[in-house]
Amino acid sequence: MKKLLIVLMALIVLLTGCSSNQSVPAQVQGKQTPLDKDWESILADAKGTTVNFYMWGGDERTNTWVDTFVDSSMQKEYGIKVNRVPMGPDEYLNKLIGEKQANKQEGSIDLVWINGENFRTARQANLLWGPFAEKVPNFQKYVDQTAPDIANDFGFPVEGYEVPYGKAQFVFAYDTSKVKNPPKSSAELLKWVKEHPGRFTYPELPDFTGSVFVRQLMYELCGGYQAFPYTEKVNKETINTQLEPLWNYLGEIKGDLWRQGKTYPSSIAAMNQLFADGEVDITMTYNPAIFSGMIEQGLLPDTVRTYVWNHGTIGNTHFLAIPFNASYKDAALVLANFMLSPEAQLSKYTPENWGDLIALDLKKLDPQSLKQLEGIKPGIATLSSEELQTHRLPEIAAEYIPTIEGLWKEQVIQNGQ
Amino acid sequence: MYRLKALRRIVLISILVVLIFPFLVLVVWSFSQGWASNALLPSEFGLRGWRYLFSTQSAMLSSLRVSILISLVVTVLGLIICIPAGKALGSYSFTGKKVVEILVLAPIIIPTVAVGMGIQIVFIRYGLADTLLGVILVHLPIVLPYGIRIFASIYKALGTKWEEQAKTLKANGWQRFWFTTLPFLFPGMISAGVLMFNVSFSQYFLTYLIGGGKIITLPILLFPFVNSGDRVVASGLSLVFILTSLILMFAIEKIITDPEQKTNFYYL
Amino acid sequence: MVSRDSLKAYLYLSPALSVILIFFLGGFVLAFIQSLGYFPAIGQENLTVRYYGEVFRKPEFFRSLRYTFYIAIVSTTIATVIGTMLAYYLLRSSVKKSYISFLYKFPIAVPHLVAALMIVFILSQGGIVSRLFLKVGLISNTASFPAFFYTQNALGIILIYIWKEIPFVTFMVYTVMRNIHTKLGEAATNLKASPGQVLFHVILPLCMPSIISASAIVFAYSFGAFEVPYLLGATYPKTMPVWAYLNFISADLSARPIAMVINMIVSLVCAVIIFIYYLSTKKYFGKWS
Repeated sequence: MKKLLIVLMALIVLLTGCSSNQSVPAQVQGKQTPLDKDWESILADAKGTTVNFYMWGGDERTNTWVDTFVDSSMQKEYGIKVNRVPMGPDEYLNKLIGEKQANKQEGSIDLVWINGENFRTARQANLLWGPFAEKVPNFQKYVDQTAPDIANDFGFPVEGYEVPYGKAQFVFAYDTSKVKNPPKSSAELLKWVKEHPGRFTYPELPDFTGSVFVRQLMYELCGGYQAFPYTEKVNKETINTQLEPLWNYLGEIKGDLWRQGKTYPSSIAAMNQLFADGEVDITMTYNPAIFSGMIEQGLLPDTVRTYVWNHGTIGNTHFLAIPFNASYKDAALVLANFMLSPEAQLSKYTPENWGDLIALDLKKLDPQSLKQLEGIKPGIATLSSEELQTHRLPEIAAEYIPTIEGLWKEQVIQNGQ
Repeated sequence: MYRLKALRRIVLISILVVLIFPFLVLVVWSFSQGWASNALLPSEFGLRGWRYLFSTQSAMLSSLRVSILISLVVTVLGLIICIPAGKALGSYSFTGKKVVEILVLAPIIIPTVAVGMGIQIVFIRYGLADTLLGVILVHLPIVLPYGIRIFASIYKALGTKWEEQAKTLKANGWQRFWFTTLPFLFPGMISAGVLMFNVSFSQYFLTYLIGGGKIITLPILLFPFVNSGDRVVASGLSLVFILTSLILMFAIEKIITDPEQKTNFYYL
Repeated sequence: MVSRDSLKAYLYLSPALSVILIFFLGGFVLAFIQSLGYFPAIGQENLTVRYYGEVFRKPEFFRSLRYTFYIAIVSTTIATVIGTMLAYYLLRSSVKKSYISFLYKFPIAVPHLVAALMIVFILSQGGIVSRLFLKVGLISNTASFPAFFYTQNALGIILIYIWKEIPFVTFMVYTVMRNIHTKLGEAATNLKASPGQVLFHVILPLCMPSIISASAIVFAYSFGAFEVPYLLGATYPKTMPVWAYLNFISADLSARPIAMVINMIVSLVCAVIIFIYYLSTKKYFGKWS
């Protein structure tokens, strides 16, 4: 009995101790929004706070880079702690919608990693704070604000509600010791799949990578990205007819896919696991450098290489944005600014860290940074930036994407059963 | 005679295989450094996974602390709430008893996903989302049914004779409870405590939905590893999870067991 | 006139009832209201049943319901039968039972996510058994190893459930079985009843309420489970709880009420099944009390 009482007391002490560590975010900054302050004040006010950075956590390298380099640099240079929360856009947007519904003004999220249709959804639901890009010094200094893939996110106007973070490009990967001639177009893929049944698949939509794979096919089969001009409203039936060739193609390869196309890996992580386990011979990614990293970690053999298709693969920019109710907007601005610094961008581009392409305008970089940039060798399995850039296709309007994903589910999954 | 022996051997072996083998697989994976796909055994052994787990970057230690804290608080609060509730259901008959019995079972019948999705918005509004308190509050109802059932059957079996005896000897309410009832409750406190701790410790969905990414417990950390990711780290993490679960269950048993009482049955 | 006993009982019950009513049933009621379309964030404040109609008309609805039922029924049946058999086995081998009766409880302590992970490491096409078969030459490549996960027969999911559920059923049934055996079983044996007769005429009937309630709990859990089917289920159909969640986090806000409708249907199914179980225990209670 005495033991029970001691345990109870210890628990009460622990609980009260822990509760005080869970600081309730309280803006001690008066009623001035950061937009009214100058950068010096923002830096001063942000010092000593913690910024809650919500980002997709499916890539261990990226997570490590944020937890080590970014957090320690931010603490050293600005006295700000970075709390990375591994939650992707699906879930944090849901959270923000809930917070907006509950009219919660002091939110739990300060900065998010976002792009594409998620940015569009967030803007349409008024979940983002801004426009703030102008306030970020490095944005002014180093970013080409007029470039179409900076000023627009999947065609949707950015208008200062997010700042660029990095660039991605869709690539395929294979093991050179197992596959001799990987398919480099939709026609070649069709042939390859028939010759190697059960050795290819793609992640179930609406996974980001699965979605872009289907769009990749769509570009080749349905008239290219030009056949899908920017629009604010998409008609489901019209699109469905436009996509006939795509559904026919997917129907044709279905039986020769992994598990006879009856089921698909639920995410890109699950898909890469199949590849690592040797269950499929080809995989794909939006991050051209990820497989070099996995080779280094011993998770893949060093014979793995990436490649693009002859007619190019889809590339895009990804961004950072600030939620409408962020409790630490100053700290979020400082972190965004840091992420746009040449120092952070070069570190991010280094293959051992992440390998993500830089989002800055090369013409605006200082000579020293340029030299450093040229000195960075892409990883063993990564394509050169030249190769990537000469085979790069733009994304289509964000508006199309949920419709395409919904139609995929109907045409390929449900009707096919 | 021989048939029974053979049967016993089959049962024993199958139990060992089904229980111990998965555990061994985890141990081997957690200590491997390189393990090629399709190879039966790892090519290299090492501590890479364990070193990573114990580093601050993996968040294993902090989530372990949070998990234990939440589950211990839920268990203690649960016991305090379940004992009187069990007394009410086991010793008294009263109007509406049938309804109460069903209500008390509701958390076992109605799936937690439905309740979690329904209540999230209110928790956000009242500032309970993303907090330890919110997670504790949402774990509590799902552990109560187990405890209440156990204590209700203890009280029912106990009857009122002990209390009445003590009453005639002029003991007051608290003394009656402390000296006559409580010793009989100990075995129930063990099984209820252990069960409730277990349910809270393994809970994923409610912690994820209400904790909102801010409250990281072991199940949340482990979740993405089930179908993908670094198997070395995943195995180490799972082992930590299992061992902590077992250790704490034994600890609860040791703390609550009154050394003089040798009652050894579990009321359910 | 409310009796003093009633007042006392409710006093003792108040903490438990308030926790359950506020933090559990409250959530349920909120889900119900939201299933009727109450969603101020997109300006819907009127209640309507049209979302129920929408869900019933979806082709996925029937497929998902059937899939979820299938998984729950198969795993519950296997777990109940084998769990009870194991409890009886423990009863009969009372001599050196110490280590088996300790070991079998191990899966109860193992959290279900860990159980899932362990079984995936063993039975997936990239797992241990597959590699063993490859080494021994039974299969030529790992893709030929039978698929347990992401399949429409949900074999892997069912195995994970029964790994946890069999010890649970055994645990719940064994104590009752032992009490009955020592009291009535021995009496029957003294009256020259054979072990088989003791089992089928004394032990099983008296344990039925316990077996049935364990079975009911297992069914409700399997039907409403989220984590395992979310991680390891097929692309189509999804189980009902997973389908509800995917609608819940959808960027399309009008999917939120759909999620709540699915939640209500899942809850209703669980409640109905439990009710049926409860009715069948009345049959056994009637005989013996």
